[in-house]
Amino acid sequence: MGEIIIALIQGILLVLLAPLVSGVTRWFRAKMHTRKGPSIWQDYYDIAKLFKRQDVHSNQSSFISRLMPPLFMGTMIVLAMGMPMMTRLCPIPLLGDAILIIYMLALPRFFFALAGIDSGSSYAGIGSVRELVVGTLVEPSLMLALFVAALSCGTTNIGVMGQMVASGQCANPIAMSLAGIAFAAACYIELGKLPYDLAEAEQELQEGPLQEYSGPSLAMMHLAMPMKQIIVVSWLVAIFLPFGSAVDLSLTGLLFGALFFVLKVAVIFFICGIIENVVCRVRFKLTSRQTWFVLAIAVCAFAFCVLGI
Amino acid sequence: MSLAITAAASILVPFACALLIVLTPRKADEALCITGAAIASIATLLVGWSFASGGMATQTFTFLAFGGVPIMGFVFDKVSVLLAPTFVIIGLLVVIYSTAYMRPTNREHPDEPRRRYYAFMIIFIAAMAGLVYSSTIIGQLVFFEITGACSWALIGYYDTDIARKSAMKALIVTHIASLGLYLAACILFIQTGTFELTAIASLSTGWKTFVMLSILFAAWGKSAQLPFYMWLPSAMNAPTPVSAYLHGASMVKVGVCIFARALIDAGQVPEVVGWVVVIGGIITCVFAFLMYLPQKDMKRLLAFSTISQLSYIFLAFGFYIFGSDMAFVGGIMHIFNHAWAKTLFFLIAGAFSCTMGTRMLPQLRGVLKKRPILGVGFAVAALAIAGCPPLNGFFSKFYIFAGGFQAATENGALMFIVIVALIETVGCFIWFLKWIGSVLFGEPSEEVAKAAPLPKAMSAVFVVLIIMTFCSSFIAAAWLG
Amino acid sequence: MFLTSVLLSTVGALVALLTGRSESTAKILGCSIGAFASLLALMSGLQALFGPVATFSSGTLFFDFSLRLDPLAGVLVSVISTLAFVAWVYGFSYFDDYKGKGIGAMCFFMNLFIASMDLVITSDNAFWFLVFFEMMSLTSYFLVVTDQDKASILGGFMYLVMAHIGFFMIMISFFIMAGITGSFDFSVFRAAKFDPGIASLIFMLAFLGFGFKAGMIPFHSWLPQAHPAAPSNVSALMSGGMIKIGIFGIIKVGFDLLGASGCQLWWGIVVMLFGAVSSVLGVMYALGEHDIKRLLAYHSVENIGIILMGVGVALIGWAIAQPVLTVIGLMAALYHLINHAMFKGLLFLGAGSVLYSTHTRNMELMGGLSKAMPTTAICFLIGSLAISAIPPLNGFVSEWFTYQGLITVAMTGDGIVKTVCAITAVALAITGALAVTCFVKAYGVTFLGAPRSDEARAAKEVPGPMKFAMVFLAVICIALGVCAPRIVPVLTSAAAATAGQAVAGTTAGIALVNPVIDSTISTPLLAVLLIAAVFVPWLIIKGKSKGGVKNTPDPWACGYNPTPDMPLQASSFAGTVHMFYGPLYQMRDNLVAKSPAFKTFFAGLSNWADKAQNWGDIALVNPTSKFVHWLSRVSSKLEGGDFRVYIVYVVIALVFFLVLAVTVR
Repeated sequence: MGEIIIALIQGILLVLLAPLVSGVTRWFRAKMHTRKGPSIWQDYYDIAKLFKRQDVHSNQSSFISRLMPPLFMGTMIVLAMGMPMMTRLCPIPLLGDAILIIYMLALPRFFFALAGIDSGSSYAGIGSVRELVVGTLVEPSLMLALFVAALSCGTTNIGVMGQMVASGQCANPIAMSLAGIAFAAACYIELGKLPYDLAEAEQELQEGPLQEYSGPSLAMMHLAMPMKQIIVVSWLVAIFLPFGSAVDLSLTGLLFGALFFVLKVAVIFFICGIIENVVCRVRFKLTSRQTWFVLAIAVCAFAFCVLGI
Repeated sequence: MSLAITAAASILVPFACALLIVLTPRKADEALCITGAAIASIATLLVGWSFASGGMATQTFTFLAFGGVPIMGFVFDKVSVLLAPTFVIIGLLVVIYSTAYMRPTNREHPDEPRRRYYAFMIIFIAAMAGLVYSSTIIGQLVFFEITGACSWALIGYYDTDIARKSAMKALIVTHIASLGLYLAACILFIQTGTFELTAIASLSTGWKTFVMLSILFAAWGKSAQLPFYMWLPSAMNAPTPVSAYLHGASMVKVGVCIFARALIDAGQVPEVVGWVVVIGGIITCVFAFLMYLPQKDMKRLLAFSTISQLSYIFLAFGFYIFGSDMAFVGGIMHIFNHAWAKTLFFLIAGAFSCTMGTRMLPQLRGVLKKRPILGVGFAVAALAIAGCPPLNGFFSKFYIFAGGFQAATENGALMFIVIVALIETVGCFIWFLKWIGSVLFGEPSEEVAKAAPLPKAMSAVFVVLIIMTFCSSFIAAAWLG
Repeated sequence: MFLTSVLLSTVGALVALLTGRSESTAKILGCSIGAFASLLALMSGLQALFGPVATFSSGTLFFDFSLRLDPLAGVLVSVISTLAFVAWVYGFSYFDDYKGKGIGAMCFFMNLFIASMDLVITSDNAFWFLVFFEMMSLTSYFLVVTDQDKASILGGFMYLVMAHIGFFMIMISFFIMAGITGSFDFSVFRAAKFDPGIASLIFMLAFLGFGFKAGMIPFHSWLPQAHPAAPSNVSALMSGGMIKIGIFGIIKVGFDLLGASGCQLWWGIVVMLFGAVSSVLGVMYALGEHDIKRLLAYHSVENIGIILMGVGVALIGWAIAQPVLTVIGLMAALYHLINHAMFKGLLFLGAGSVLYSTHTRNMELMGGLSKAMPTTAICFLIGSLAISAIPPLNGFVSEWFTYQGLITVAMTGDGIVKTVCAITAVALAITGALAVTCFVKAYGVTFLGAPRSDEARAAKEVPGPMKFAMVFLAVICIALGVCAPRIVPVLTSAAAATAGQAVAGTTAGIALVNPVIDSTISTPLLAVLLIAAVFVPWLIIKGKSKGGVKNTPDPWACGYNPTPDMPLQASSFAGTVHMFYGPLYQMRDNLVAKSPAFKTFFAGLSNWADKAQNWGDIALVNPTSKFVHWLSRVSSKLEGGDFRVYIVYVVIALVFFLVLAVTVR
């Protein structure tokens, strides 16, 4: 029973706090550009403003465009319910399987790309294709890193994986570390931050697949996309950096777990912020070189796993 | 006894009809021929029926003896009683077809129905029945030579330069081959004092090998195997019903029939003979298949196809010598099946030349749209030859291959031959499928679009043959057990 | 009941052929009898899944005609019957497009096709198995060439030739078994123990032979040529049903017939590697296609690869003596077999509906069809989601079990097994991502955006029977996914029965479980949560949309008026993918380009044969006749014509005989 409450709280909190995370990111970027920048609550003001506007779609679009934002958000909420954020183990273990998470992330990507095509705008279409193709380039590394993790920890449930890592029981520590690095790199690409900002390359594609969105739909997307970023980061944290999360459901444990979680996510976003503000976007044609490199790290990890170290 | 009389009737009645054809005015020749063939068919079927109801026991009757030595006789066993009605009934169907083919309306070879055609056809039918029923080697020789003579007359029927040359070539090549049979007859008589084929079993190994190889020599010649194959493609200058009957269904089967009879009567055959049969068979098979590739004339393609199918039958007999009974059953079934399928195929070619004026395959397209029955017949015959179930060819080929595998498990070198035969069968399938795709489908080509209507006699014959091509395998399997 | 179904199909076939003159009668009779027959077969298939093994034996013509309906056969029969039923219902309206091309013949061949497929699955004798196998190929050949244009004839030719080659390999495999055991009955094969070397030969021949039928790489080239040419419901049957018979054969030979001989590790590794390569290359080539049915055909190659991965897991599990893994792997393979049949059938029927409305298969000429054909669009969307393995639909469940199988095998296997499993898992992941790309393209380019041609503008929704067929399959896809906890136990017991092992516990309540490592998911729970989690935001948006949703502006085109060629086309996708995966396409082009060499070889052979065909004449007949002519010319000199020479001959002869008489005395 307690777990269900935690799951629901996680979902609701994620919805409420995601714009804060994206707001802080914007503020951080401004600071790195030595600008004054917007306040950290700016994204809340934007979302509230957008909700007041009318929902306009292009005349070629169909129900897909209207379905996509709720679907994206709904999927993120469901993922949040299964992700171990405050706790070591998954609040709802049935939703915490690594492979399920990969394919659950594919669901919103499918509709996101489809919506781009649906609007009939050429920029949106290009953005969709790039989103999908980058997804295919990243999948192998993700899967291989998770495969190594699964082999080392003896399970595909990310909560149990985190438990094995935290208690030091997982086999092949070096392989796990390398897998963690590869996974982190793959996740960074998934986050869609510079230099892998390919779907919504603003300077090239004018916002990409979200180009024809406005009003409440756009507001929901502005909510949902930071949610996705947080989910991906907490995925990484849950498997490879589980230290500090609550091992039981006691109130102190949960509070400490939440605190550590926020700290870990903050550190990771800080690092991401530094990286994304000192590079420019990768040339699309050359993206595969970098993904091959990440895959190579993952293959190294696997080799170590086979060797048993 | 009654079996012998009925069998004799099936041979003598046609001869009588031939005589009548010569004596009566021209208008009656078609009717006489059909009557004679029909009576002979019924006779052979009666033989079959009474044989079956008599418990399928092998019986022999000698009706001509000289000083205690049987010269000519009848043998009734499963093989002869199965094959005789086949050849005679196919003969009847071909004669019915000829009444529609040998007409001035024929676009490629307009002609009148002449007496010599029908006379020689009916003699031929009689000779086939006689050959299959024959229990002595002299009997086989007599009918062997009669078929040779009829074949000469019928191949050269159109009396052009090339027809005469082809007829002469056929006669001489097969006659040289028949020397083998003469030699075998002499040796048999000298060694055992009788002409009966069952005496082969009592020969010593060396003489048995010699006799079997001599009979094989004759069989190769008559069945157009290497090195005697060259008369068959040239024999395609004969009228198409003749090609269908002689060179698809019956005369070329004479070779395999005499060899089959020799095998049945020989008991334990030395392995040397087996090797000769199998190696000859596979070389002919591959050669004939390679010769498919440049053929554009449908009849020449069918001629080479006949050669390769007969080589399958020889392979089956070879496998039987190496110990596989299944292969022998497969060989006999293949004789039966191939007769029906090849006759159908040749008669379709005849229908093409009769109603469309050409039998060149590249010019025939879209047949299915214009003349569905010809299209269906073409597909059925081609698939039967290629060995595709549920047509008949598959079942006999399956038995032959199964038998080959059986024989090869004891004799490793045979496996190579079986594999080559399998590859050839796949190649044959591919080649015929290509022609099905080319000839049957799409829009009719010019010649096809201008086709004359198909005579009723031809359609009726095609229907019977198509049905038989589907069913013959089941009939043979039920008969042979 | 099964036999009634088969007989009914045959009756239906003959009826359709006989009423061929009146095309609508033939269509109605053929379709109704066929649909009824398939329902009967479906019932018998389900019975076999749940109940005991049913056998039937009849007399011996050639060889024993015996049938056996065990759980494995039950799975296949159910799948094929469902597809057959849907195909017949669909055909009620779809065949109207084929008026003038012989609907009677089509119904004839289709009935026989379905009947022979059912008989192949249930045959318990090698001979009859082969007979019905080849009949299945032959009847579908005639269905493929229905259009009778060059592409169809070539497609049919390639198809039947490759099916035939596969058939021969299977035949040799059976001959080896029959040669050793002395009988053609499967029951005898089942009990026989073969040497490891012979068993490997048998398995490899059967694997490659059935692989031709299944369409795995490198024997796949007939698929993209044959499936587009056939009518769409026949393509659905072929792609959803017939190629599964290839998988069925591999499972049958590997687990059932060679059951007593044991299995070797390298078999499973080979099967898995073939599966991995097929799945990646299949989806890669699909991405490059603009013909919607060719795209779907290549996807069949991909999914066969995924099924083979499951079979590979099962074989490896058996070889390393882990019975639970065998069951899991086999169950994953069977589940994906069913799922693929359902969603591929649905997709082909959807493509058929699009073809019916727009009369083109070229995706570049479509667009904006979801407004004109809403039912088709939604069904196609469900099919696309299912094939992309999006939870909670059916494709995801079987792929999850495949992943679980791979991970579990890797955990218990040695280094080589770990590596192969890792390669396969990565291949499966790439496949999933590429499938998402491909179906976003397929759905998006066909149904979304603006219409790009007059045909697309004029498109209308399809008639009732076709809609019913598609919706039926869509509902099944959803049900197979959401109700997976009910379906998995049935399949697990079927898999266990086939592998001869104990049933593994693969479900617990509403959860699907991997019993070895205790991983769990729950598709019903996921479905419920997703629906709830999506519904609430959707309500919020609906509530908040002031003034409703406005739908009038053109998409932004940087200030220009948008033209139809501006948005994304199918080629844009292909071009982008080509950027990164170019070498794989290059490889295919290189291999196809080898055929000119083959053409010249063939032409050379033909020329040689043309010259060689008369060697008998040239070598034997002509010299002999020349010799005889020479001899006769020479000896004719003896006949000088002058009678005085003849008198000299008489005198010489007389003298000779006198001398002879004297010396002999």
